[in-house]
Amino acid sequence: MTTAVEHHDVGPVRQGLPPPPGGLRRVLYPGFLRAAWMTPLFFGIGSAIVVLCRWWGGWHPIWFGEIIVLVGALIAAPIGFLAGIGAFDYWVRYSIGAPTEPEDHSGHGAYSWRDYFRVNTDHKVIGMQYLATTIFFFLAGGLLAMLVRAELAKPGMQFFDNQTYNGLFSVHASLMIFLFVIPAFAGLANFVVPLMLGAPDMAFPRLNALSYWLLPIAGIMMLSSFLVPGGAFASGWTGYAPLSVHQPLGTIFFNMGVQWAGASSIMTALNFLVTIITMRAPGMTFWRMPLLVWANFTTSLLVVIATPFIAGSQFFVMFDRVMHTHFFDVGGGGYPLGYQHIFWFYSHPAVYIMMLPGFGIASEVISVFSRKPIFGYRLMALSLMAILVLGFSVWAHHMFVSGMAPWLRVPMMITTLMIAVPTGIKVFSWLATIWEGKINFATPMLWAVGFVSMFVIGGLSGIYLGAVPIDIHVSDTYFVVAHIHYVLFGGSLFTIFAGIYYWFPKMTGHQYNEKLGKLHFWLTFIGFNLTFFPMHLIGTQGMPRRVSDYAPQFGNWNLFISVASFFLGASTIVFLYNMVISMRRGAPAEANPWRALTLEWQVSSPPPVFNFDEIPQVVGNPYEYGVPGARHAVLNGDRAATETEEVRH
Amino acid sequence: MRRGSIVQLIVIGVLAGAIASAVALIPDWLPSSASREAGRIDFVFWFVTGICIFVFSIVTAVIVYAVWKFRVKPDDDSDGPPIHGHTGLEIVWTAIPALLVTAIAIVSAIVLAKDDAAGANPLRVNVYAQQFFWSYGYPGYRNKLSSVLRLPVNRSVVLTMHARDVIHSFWVPEFRQKQDLVPGIHATLHITPDKVGTYPVICTELCGFGHGLMRSRVVVMDSTAFEKWAEKKGTS
Amino acid sequence: MSAHAEAHHGPPIANHSSRVNASILGMLLFIASEIMLFGAFFTAYFFVRVVNGIPWPQPPFELPVFVAGVNTAILVTSSFTMHWALQSIKRGNRAGLQAGLLLTFLMGLVFLLTQAREYSRVGFAPHDGAFGTIFYCLTGLHGAHVFIGLSILLFMTIRAFRGHFSPEQHHGVEIGGIYWHFVDVMWIVVYSTVYLL
Repeated sequence: MTTAVEHHDVGPVRQGLPPPPGGLRRVLYPGFLRAAWMTPLFFGIGSAIVVLCRWWGGWHPIWFGEIIVLVGALIAAPIGFLAGIGAFDYWVRYSIGAPTEPEDHSGHGAYSWRDYFRVNTDHKVIGMQYLATTIFFFLAGGLLAMLVRAELAKPGMQFFDNQTYNGLFSVHASLMIFLFVIPAFAGLANFVVPLMLGAPDMAFPRLNALSYWLLPIAGIMMLSSFLVPGGAFASGWTGYAPLSVHQPLGTIFFNMGVQWAGASSIMTALNFLVTIITMRAPGMTFWRMPLLVWANFTTSLLVVIATPFIAGSQFFVMFDRVMHTHFFDVGGGGYPLGYQHIFWFYSHPAVYIMMLPGFGIASEVISVFSRKPIFGYRLMALSLMAILVLGFSVWAHHMFVSGMAPWLRVPMMITTLMIAVPTGIKVFSWLATIWEGKINFATPMLWAVGFVSMFVIGGLSGIYLGAVPIDIHVSDTYFVVAHIHYVLFGGSLFTIFAGIYYWFPKMTGHQYNEKLGKLHFWLTFIGFNLTFFPMHLIGTQGMPRRVSDYAPQFGNWNLFISVASFFLGASTIVFLYNMVISMRRGAPAEANPWRALTLEWQVSSPPPVFNFDEIPQVVGNPYEYGVPGARHAVLNGDRAATETEEVRH
Repeated sequence: MRRGSIVQLIVIGVLAGAIASAVALIPDWLPSSASREAGRIDFVFWFVTGICIFVFSIVTAVIVYAVWKFRVKPDDDSDGPPIHGHTGLEIVWTAIPALLVTAIAIVSAIVLAKDDAAGANPLRVNVYAQQFFWSYGYPGYRNKLSSVLRLPVNRSVVLTMHARDVIHSFWVPEFRQKQDLVPGIHATLHITPDKVGTYPVICTELCGFGHGLMRSRVVVMDSTAFEKWAEKKGTS
Repeated sequence: MSAHAEAHHGPPIANHSSRVNASILGMLLFIASEIMLFGAFFTAYFFVRVVNGIPWPQPPFELPVFVAGVNTAILVTSSFTMHWALQSIKRGNRAGLQAGLLLTFLMGLVFLLTQAREYSRVGFAPHDGAFGTIFYCLTGLHGAHVFIGLSILLFMTIRAFRGHFSPEQHHGVEIGGIYWHFVDVMWIVVYSTVYLL
């Protein structure tokens, strides 16, 4: 213990932030009060810059609403909000050379519920902030899906006009992708990865805090697009140009929302990469890292390399709209298909960004609950890398019918089908891991095995879509809707649930209710299949996607799907109820209820503020279940080691 | 592994395969086929379905068997056997899927090449899409314009795509062929209708608020009836 | 374990599992991401100029290749002064650091102002066809990066004059310097593809 104190001679560390000052100075203290006046102030500054520039340049009208919304409300005001809550305070002081305390840990840890509502630099608190926020947007996105299904229950128009309907599914998809699946994985990893690495925190805790606070901005931006004149953005989450260029004002809320969410992902990914490369505990070689860490390493590489492309594509649409540029306008020499190439160069890797962390979670859970080492650990890690590399060479399989150069189709088909090989390796390795195991079907394991079986179906329907002739028939039909939901719901969401149940005791210090957990799984599993499996059928039979009205022949199946989807939606109530009551009244959790070997389970539940008293020494592989005397790490020096030895004998 | 358990595993696999086959065969997965391309595309569809049922059966057999045989009570603290891998097995399940997808890729590439090859003297038709309706022009017939796509049966047709505003997509489920219409890009689509009848034309690329209503019809007629219609003056 | 293990203490010192400094690695990864952002813009350039094959520069417009070339020379020189600043502080020469940073900042500023002047004189606007679009967006994206680089330089200069940085503690200069070099190299790419080719 002495080492830590020697190296950190910063005096006593405060427990949380000091109480805010009274009186007028409180207005200057970082927090929501300061954000309440800085947000409008920055909005005003942004708008003033627009008006001044237009006046100076002689553009008319000087007061142009759309650009004021863009610069003032969607760019400047969020920066004002972030400055107000104090996300930049340290950097501003540093930049102007004012005295700073780099080792001041006052922003760290949570001592009351208030600490979850401020800029917090503790990766565990940030992980919880991420999860709570993403679950909120998951519910919002889910409710939008319910509205979509209500409209589709019968042929003909029921509740919404066409434009509103297009807005509903567009916002549904955008929230689920950018505000739920991607950041929910980032949230789980935020909590777990530093613990698994034996690190006291992420490499850049302040950047970590900032990347969280960009998320609610992006989410509110996308949701609030329903309130602007003309309604929400309605060109799908893919936002194909040139349609999206000529849509109502709501579209720029999507363009900018994606930028904020994308900036958040890139910052988090940088942080993960640097943390994983530079902060592993002694003895934690790359080949001793848990597969969740491997998964986040590859995912982060994908994010850093690919995300700028979606940023680019949305910038171009926005420029075409507000500056009348000609990126996608044929008349001016632009190239409309360019949007799709640039968009899918991000958005296909994004599919792996939404899947690889789930592979990591499944690997952790399946190994622990089968009481067996992961089968073929190195091949599992290498297949992640293979998916990462191949993932950049398949984007045009979204464009087989798009009118792109026909010679591109066969090479893209081959790379696409080849991705089935590393993915297959993972599935077979999970099966081999559960084979002859001592399987405990606790809730996380149910979700993980449910994931494997559903993901197989999603993977197989992906083979259909990869084969060009079939894709020509089924692209842009409900077959595609079924496929992406088997992959993103049966794949990503199931693993997110597996992760939430698995680490719930670690995060909250309470055990969740096992019966409710299992009930939640079975309701979701049944409702999910009833909802999405028939979509394959109506798709191949001829029902296009993204329509509010359809041929009467599909009426029966659509009614069936809608009823099933309401059932599926209702199953979420069990989850929420379980989370809320277990967090408050669940039985206290042990440090290691699952008898797992990875490092996060070797500290108390919930973990101490700085994770470890002393950095652990890693001495073995993370999945040595059933190997007599095998250990992954030694904590707190020799004393603890000898103690464990005594227990063992 | 005992012989009994191998038999059980195979029985589960066969059952899973039978259920999957029933799901594949009982509902009408594909609409009726009305073009030569549709026949070839359906062949790829069933080829892939066969492979998928095979893979699905194996995976399901292993999962169901494992769930059934290897589950223990939650209070059982024992560990499973410490098996870290098996190089032979890992090679097998890398190689077999690679072979299967290669087979799919070859079959697909051949079908694609055949579908793209227009026969001699094809009928040329221009497809025009704009928000939110279709129209069709016949350059071989004094640029006759029609709001319904009329085609002669058993003659190769080349459709050339013209989008007037945003991206649309031309799809006739009974032909199994689809092509996006992108402003400035004049992609072609090749179809050989082989069954007389009327089929829907559907826009499958979100093109604005009227996207769901952007429908038209294709009428496949025998060649004499088509010539008669096509020679008639005026639009229809 | 001593008694104050239970009391609140700071975090344990993290293990350094790599010889690379965390902040420098972070900056390099960020630059990788930035290169991909430029990549997206260059992809748009590729589609317009190569796939669509529009004339470049599109008549009747012309690009001020010579002025921009002088500007390129200024920006490239500023990379050397940046390097000099870093080497100075490594040797403990504070005056060298301050002079180097100031010179770099001034040259960057001259570059940006020349670019703005070019915009007002070049005779076409972003909405004048795809050529104008790509020209303004590539140079504008680069200009935005120069602006960010100048802000970083400004803050480094302020810190240098307020007595920060030392031969032991110069990561702040090194990391900002890496970014500035990136901005320079990127300009050479933009200049060659947009003006020269």
